[in-house]
Amino acid sequence: MPDNWSYVFSAYGLAAVVLLGYWRRLAGRAKSLAARGARRAA
Amino acid sequence: MAARVLGWLAALALVAGLVAAFGYAPREAVQGNVQRIMYLHVPAVLTAYLAFGLVFLGSLGYLLTRRPGWDRLALAAAEPGVLFTGITIASGSIWGKPTWGTWWTWDARLTSTAVLFLVYVGYLLLRGMVDEPDRRARAAAVVGILGAANIPIVHFSVKWWRALHQPATILGPESSPIATPIALALFTNWIAFTLLFAYLLAKRMQIARLEDMHAG
Repeated sequence: MPDNWSYVFSAYGLAAVVLLGYWRRLAGRAKSLAARGARRAA
Repeated sequence: MAARVLGWLAALALVAGLVAAFGYAPREAVQGNVQRIMYLHVPAVLTAYLAFGLVFLGSLGYLLTRRPGWDRLALAAAEPGVLFTGITIASGSIWGKPTWGTWWTWDARLTSTAVLFLVYVGYLLLRGMVDEPDRRARAAAVVGILGAANIPIVHFSVKWWRALHQPATILGPESSPIATPIALALFTNWIAFTLLFAYLLAKRMQIARLEDMHAG
């Protein structure tokens, strides 16, 4: 059977994009909530 | 602080997992290198099972105690659970094309996994539709508990129905026939995905706590 590397890299690439995207979304949300908390405290 | 440590551990474990999947594990004799998708596909579904198990636990905990911490646990586990299920379906589909000759088939394992995915997407949508915190948590908890019934259906579907998908080679009733280097690479990636999930869970719970503080 041929190696089909393009399928392998597509699967791993897609997973990386999804997980990095979620991680960035969480980091952004945490940052905005922390800024809101700081504004309230000031 | 704990989340940060978990994050670094997960990053290191993911690098180790990639090295194991692409550098240590041998080329599979029948499928060739496309079989390396297994080191992503199987850990992703096992992590999704863990995530939805925690949604079940958090949902049950909330209904029994009405403590918001349980609801936060359920929410924090559901989001990555949906992502890991999505990765399972996508990677399985990509793996299926060169090996089965099709991206998708209405096989029992594939269909039940798609249902699992949709149930928890529905769970998250439901949470977004109800404003009042206790009503939202109660409604979500009911879905979180009922949705968990689908986990054994997904896992045993290949045993209960005739399926194109192969039967379970790990978490199955018989001892695993996988060769040691392949099993080690799989195990390394399983640990890495579990650590990544633990990190995402901790981070999402922190955010949920802050959201509750700002809302209250």
